[in-house]
Amino acid sequence: MNDVTAPTNLAPARDDAWIATSCALCYSSCSILAHRVDGTVVKIEGNPDSVVGKGRLCGKGVSGIMSHYDPNRLKVPLRRTNPKKGLDEDPGWKEISWEEALGEIATEFGRVRAEDPRKLLIQRTTTVTAGRNPLYAFGNAFGTPNYSTAGGGLHCGNGAHLISGIMHASWSVTPDFEYCNYAVYFGASKGHGAGHAATANMKLAADARARGMKLVVVDPMSNFASAKATEWVPLRVGTDGALALALCHVLVNELKIYDAPYLQAKTNAPYLIGPDKRYVRDAVTKKPLVWDAAANAARPYSEANSADMALEGDFAVDGVSCQPAFHKLKEHLRKFTPEWAEGITTVPAANIRRIAGEFGREARIGSTIMVEGVNLPYRPVAAVAFRGAQGHMNSLYNFYAIDLLNELVGASDVVGGCLGFNPACDGFPETGRPHYVPKPDADGLMITGMWMGYHYPYPVGEPRMPQNAGLQDLFTMGMTSPFLDSDDQEALWTQFELPYRPEAMLNFGANLLMSIANKESVARSLAKYKFMVSIDIFETETTRFADIVLPDCSYLQTLDSRSNFPFIFSLPGGMGEWCWPIRQPVLPPEGEQRRFQDVLLELADRIGFRADMNAAFNASLNLAPEQRLQGDRRYTWEEICDAELKTYFGAQRGLEWFKEHGLIKWPKKPEEVYWRPFVDVRVPIYWEFLVPLADKIDAITAPRGLKVPRQYYEPMPDHLPCVSHCCTTPGFDLYAFYYRDTLHTNSYTMENPWLDEAAQLDPYSYTIAINTNTGRGKGLHDGALIWVETETGRKVQGRVKLTQGIHPEGLGIGACAGHWGDGMPVAKGKGVFFNELLELDYNHVSPINLNLDLCARVKVTPVQVRQ
Amino acid sequence: MRRGMVIDLKRCIGCYACQLSCKAEHGTPPGVFYARVLKKEEGQYPSVRQLFLPVLCNHCEEPPCVDACPTGASFKCEDGIVDIDPEKCVGCRACMMACPYSNRYYNDGPQHYFAQGATVYEQVRGARHQTDVVMKCNFCRDRVRAGRDPACVENCPTVARHFGDLDDPTSEVSRLIKERSGFPLHPEAGTKPSVYYLPP
Amino acid sequence: MQATRAKYDQLIQDLGRDLRPQREWGEGRGIFMVIGHFVVGVASGTWLFALLFDSRAGLALAFALAGLGGIAHLAYLGRPERFWKMVVHVRTSWISRGFVGLSLFLAGALLYLVPLFVPAAPWGTGSVAAGVGHAMAIVGMLVLMGYMGFVYTASKAIPFWNSPLHPALYIVYALRGGIAALLLTVALGARSSASVGELLLLWAGVTAVVIVFFLLEIHGAMTSGNAAARRSVHDLFAGRLAIYFYVGTLALGLIVPAWLMWAGLSDPLSLSAIAALALASALGDFFMKYSIIRAGVYLPVWTRLAPQR
Repeated sequence: MNDVTAPTNLAPARDDAWIATSCALCYSSCSILAHRVDGTVVKIEGNPDSVVGKGRLCGKGVSGIMSHYDPNRLKVPLRRTNPKKGLDEDPGWKEISWEEALGEIATEFGRVRAEDPRKLLIQRTTTVTAGRNPLYAFGNAFGTPNYSTAGGGLHCGNGAHLISGIMHASWSVTPDFEYCNYAVYFGASKGHGAGHAATANMKLAADARARGMKLVVVDPMSNFASAKATEWVPLRVGTDGALALALCHVLVNELKIYDAPYLQAKTNAPYLIGPDKRYVRDAVTKKPLVWDAAANAARPYSEANSADMALEGDFAVDGVSCQPAFHKLKEHLRKFTPEWAEGITTVPAANIRRIAGEFGREARIGSTIMVEGVNLPYRPVAAVAFRGAQGHMNSLYNFYAIDLLNELVGASDVVGGCLGFNPACDGFPETGRPHYVPKPDADGLMITGMWMGYHYPYPVGEPRMPQNAGLQDLFTMGMTSPFLDSDDQEALWTQFELPYRPEAMLNFGANLLMSIANKESVARSLAKYKFMVSIDIFETETTRFADIVLPDCSYLQTLDSRSNFPFIFSLPGGMGEWCWPIRQPVLPPEGEQRRFQDVLLELADRIGFRADMNAAFNASLNLAPEQRLQGDRRYTWEEICDAELKTYFGAQRGLEWFKEHGLIKWPKKPEEVYWRPFVDVRVPIYWEFLVPLADKIDAITAPRGLKVPRQYYEPMPDHLPCVSHCCTTPGFDLYAFYYRDTLHTNSYTMENPWLDEAAQLDPYSYTIAINTNTGRGKGLHDGALIWVETETGRKVQGRVKLTQGIHPEGLGIGACAGHWGDGMPVAKGKGVFFNELLELDYNHVSPINLNLDLCARVKVTPVQVRQ
Repeated sequence: MRRGMVIDLKRCIGCYACQLSCKAEHGTPPGVFYARVLKKEEGQYPSVRQLFLPVLCNHCEEPPCVDACPTGASFKCEDGIVDIDPEKCVGCRACMMACPYSNRYYNDGPQHYFAQGATVYEQVRGARHQTDVVMKCNFCRDRVRAGRDPACVENCPTVARHFGDLDDPTSEVSRLIKERSGFPLHPEAGTKPSVYYLPP
Repeated sequence: MQATRAKYDQLIQDLGRDLRPQREWGEGRGIFMVIGHFVVGVASGTWLFALLFDSRAGLALAFALAGLGGIAHLAYLGRPERFWKMVVHVRTSWISRGFVGLSLFLAGALLYLVPLFVPAAPWGTGSVAAGVGHAMAIVGMLVLMGYMGFVYTASKAIPFWNSPLHPALYIVYALRGGIAALLLTVALGARSSASVGELLLLWAGVTAVVIVFFLLEIHGAMTSGNAAARRSVHDLFAGRLAIYFYVGTLALGLIVPAWLMWAGLSDPLSLSAIAALALASALGDFFMKYSIIRAGVYLPVWTRLAPQR
């Protein structure tokens, strides 16, 4: 096997090579070509052969060189000498050898594993998507259920991924740009510089715009997507769900536009619901019943023709009065009139009616279209939500209500509609791998064919007394948990009798202090760890809490066999090609940098669980029998990557083949992309399973003093206000929210001097956006220094940018800025640290999916500058 | 032949990839932007719109910078590209005052992006740049001669930039200008720019 | 390094503005450019009046000033070691023409002046060499008077300068400077065929022309419909340069000498008062040029982008 540190094609004489690999400035992991001349990378360009970016890169991607060559990168292992940990504590770093570092970690982790492996938390960044597998294999083999990705629910969202999983069998949703004619975005910027498959989507969205796709953007701020929208719909922060519910109401009750055949065949709309809000089930098979209009009788859903299933009507089954779920939903929606929504959202009722009408008519219900010789349903409309809409207390219902728009008109995973990212794949033609397709559960509802998170989004797990420190096994709709860092974590752990306490943390690249909520709360939780290891490329604010710091390789120095797999994450949706690129080393490590994958393997050996780790890799990479890792044999990371690639692409296409070719691709079939008509699964427009879930959770929590707030567990969506909506204190008149700047990812790119320079030139990146009229009313002007303060006294300082492009009650700040640590000097002091405004406790978290609210009610006051 | 560029403002999303891919291509020092993106908003809430305007040297057919240059350091090539020979520039900056588009930058002394000094990349890529002279976009002359498009064109994630021969009425750039009413910046300056914009 | 950093920070701030002031000419080392322009202008005017009024001291002063002006220009250049390359583009570049004019002037003036001051020089005052020098210096002088205004007029980036009046303004400034310089030599006791009274009258006349041209230029800028030009005028009268304009140009350059002159109408002026008048006038001219140069604001790049959506 190769020398671990040997970069590909490093010729001794004249070195001039373009190496196909993958970017890692954000999780989109676009395919790149790195131009190396005499051992220096002189240019990074997009790889035109790849589907992921198609030869084009965003500003971050082309700037990667400056992140790689940043002299502030970590180069040697460090050990803390100051036992005290805190925001103002200097760790007193001492350089140590790898031998020392690994020895100490193995001892500490070994002790923890022997005591109770659950005491270890594995924390990772989302930026390096491919980091997931080695870290999960390590954690599984170690025996801990405690993982966290980026920041406590704040980063992307427990709503977006959970519900995309339940409704679209994918991590996220996107309009079918190639065919869509009318897209409504709710707090999303897909195709405008952020999100999954960001660069590929930028072109797809531009093509759609040029073709004439109308884009309506619902957002408190007119920045990225809104700038290119046909219509910007400003609304009060966090009320997207209310708007979506009104749109649904207009469609169903006023315009009577809905796709009945789709609802009958592909959703649980015809399932009969009893007075207890539950399915009425067949006494024998226990299957949910539908009303078979042809037989004029209730029958299990699997036995009736979908066309005969009643969507409306009052029925009685064995003396139980019941109605189809759609009937229930339709009645439920009646209260969400546009006039009601106007009061909540500030969007004029007439606009709501008009947009609903445009959406409903453009859905062209009943139409079909030929795509590559296959006749398919054609619904060229999409309602797409992301971070902005679902980053609130009402995360779940907001996303659910928005997606209902797609479901009502049948625009879900069909041509022109709202697509999941690649939910079904028949596999590479020669091997039939990877193969995954959504499948039905016993109730006919969809289970995703591919997933990559904490647990499958559906079926919902059985709540239990928590074994996970994040309590996701009690609140089973939760994903990333704020309780790993919250102020009330100890109280909750005590309340719910967590049998252990986290003691050790293995952090890979995450900067929790900046990516969750206010830094004081997070700092308190970090300081509690008895032993923390941080593998990173910079000394981040979070890394300063570590006991041992290990210098990682950058993306230009490392190897990953799966840059864009699972395909449900960052491979562009819609037609085109499947594409599997790898990441390979272009440059050797500098100083004593080591790839984290090698470090994990080494630690497994030292602690003594290599056999378990091999088994975990076999499972998580789904290795073919002939490629499986054996016993406790020591495999190099190269060998593991090789095994995975051979599993999927045959023995002749191992790592060597991929190093030479960079990627493999093959055409997508219409039946894969528009899989919905071909796969017999239904999605829930009525979330019946929430009713028993609330009972089960409540059975555990109520005796321990926490009553489940039932309004969050109702089977149909509602508008539930954020904490910020309930603030009545005079003077606190603005809703602070954050947004994702096109120039920055998480907090990592803030250190890139090119991106920093561009952000300084941008009017908004580092400023606080306030509506011009609102600001002038407060005597503010562009560049004025202000305090933004919450009711609890949390405050941040920054410079004002007055803009007409923001809701009069909004206050927008670019996310993840405002570094204060010296480890990233370029980033230090740039922009505003929004998260400081956020409380971190149960009261600011969705009690169903544990999503931390992203908005805060604030007042602004000019900073008094002393002369 | 007159090389020119068409920037489709309908496709442009103001992502700065042009500005940054240009940095990567030329390794220009801090404060020198061969390509740049301007942002502005138009209208009143809620009928407001963000506008993006990516700018670069216009490679004018009648370049006032070339006229103003006392040494001939600024010159126009036969293919219409306007470039600067750093060996000839005395740093008088008359060209900066002559360019109505503010696309020239003075490289004021040795600069690098990190306090610790120039990275190995900056040393290699920036080796061609001189200090105390004026710098600007040259339509990636070396790439263009090698048959490629300028870096900002090839990389633009939204495919908003097109490059070609303005003298050839059948070229894509000529066709786009004609069909979509392409316009240059400050036509009243009489410089006849070779960079056109398509309306947003 | 520090200065470079500060300049960088300033640039980043400026680039974010709609109306961005030019800082290359006039700020930092750019002050040498202003000094050079000012001194060379005065030199040309001085040469003219020294010839007309037969002032040897004036001629010598003009030569010295022109030499200083040349050095100041070199001090401004980014690459002074390449200065000779500026001769190349005389066909279109006003800077190049100015460089040639200055070279002609310095060479010619030297040829003309040496026999005037050094009787033992190898060529005499009436020699061909001196005659050629005389002619070269006059041609150089004319170029120096005129070129500077055209440098600004050719600056399409700066609408405030980009006016046809600018060359005329610079010519009258050169004349005003020349008279002031001659007054100064007279005050210091040098001989001249013109009386102080004549010179003062001339000064007043030229000053009146300057005022008219300046007002015309301001009027032009205000009515040009160009936001950048209007901003320049604003900066000059009520903004970042107002202090230089009011104190330097108006008070020092106009009110002080005018008051001295008015006083001189009743009572003959002392020599030191004449010197003060001349110096004040010249300094006023310097601040005028300084503030006009620094008031330059770049033409905004934004134009109205074609119809919406």
